[in-house]
Amino acid sequence: MTLAGTLEGARAMTPLLLGLLVFAMAYGAAAAQKGLSLGEATLFSGAVFAGLAQIAALEAWSDHFTAGGLVAIGFVTFAVNLRHVLMAAALRPWLGPLPAWQSYPSLLVLADNNWVLAMRYHSQGGMDGGYLLGAGLASWVIWVGGTLAGHLIGGGIPDPKVFGLDMVVPAFYIAMLVPSWQGRRHTIAWAVAAAASVTAAFLLPGWWFIVIGAMAGAIAGGFSD
Amino acid sequence: MLDFDANTLTVIVVMTLVTTLNRMAGFYVMRYVPITARMRRILDALPGAVLVALLAPGAVRGDIAMLAGLAVAVASARLVRNDLLPVGAAMAAAALVRAIT
Repeated sequence: MTLAGTLEGARAMTPLLLGLLVFAMAYGAAAAQKGLSLGEATLFSGAVFAGLAQIAALEAWSDHFTAGGLVAIGFVTFAVNLRHVLMAAALRPWLGPLPAWQSYPSLLVLADNNWVLAMRYHSQGGMDGGYLLGAGLASWVIWVGGTLAGHLIGGGIPDPKVFGLDMVVPAFYIAMLVPSWQGRRHTIAWAVAAAASVTAAFLLPGWWFIVIGAMAGAIAGGFSD
Repeated sequence: MLDFDANTLTVIVVMTLVTTLNRMAGFYVMRYVPITARMRRILDALPGAVLVALLAPGAVRGDIAMLAGLAVAVASARLVRNDLLPVGAAMAAAALVRAIT
């Protein structure tokens, strides 16, 4: 784990920065509307650092959560972020040999974007454990800073869709996905993941489709030999 | 501005504990799971499967502009090995379609 690897990871996030910033600002403005203070919204993004789960919590926001409400929020958060369990599991062969004081703190900033980047880096022979941490810290700074800025500005943040900013993350995923294809096993994995996630999205509420599609696809790929 | 109420802090604590558990549990458990050849193939297929599972439902439900953006992203990702170009091209395509429709 080196500083150079950490910086390389942070640099790889560049294509996403603008898109993430605008979405973080939209989150900050929405949090302000729900009555969260500047400090609360910023602490929320800094400590939880999970966009989908934070938006889900905001949609269900109450000024007086009951114990039942807290359990419900905890369960929704768990379901939305269940994909992180799979992602962290896939990091074991690479980051397992690192001392625990390096690997576990790096996992605090585990998110979709830095994981996808780190897995590509490692599949191309990259070994520096700092890469995941650097890319994660770069998104953390943008996510927390954008939340703060969005809360301060409040309303008047332009609709990201007008500038096509809602395309940033999907297009980035495609840029990761397309060149990673390596034959029949991936064709099967991707086809099963697509079918399972679309079916789950139609049948189940919430965000179960991510973890169902990902598991179905990975297992199908693993058993196609 | 910097006031913190107990309700919000409780939610933040609950969500921080749950997200941290999610982030660390898989890594911890895999310490005790032997990485067989089969497990290695499953883990090798996982990143693509995660990306497809994140993308596919949004693509199916997306508007014309979203579909145009995704198509342009796929085409440009096939043409060049670069992370930024498909992002810029897809943004431009979606914004253009929205401007003219």
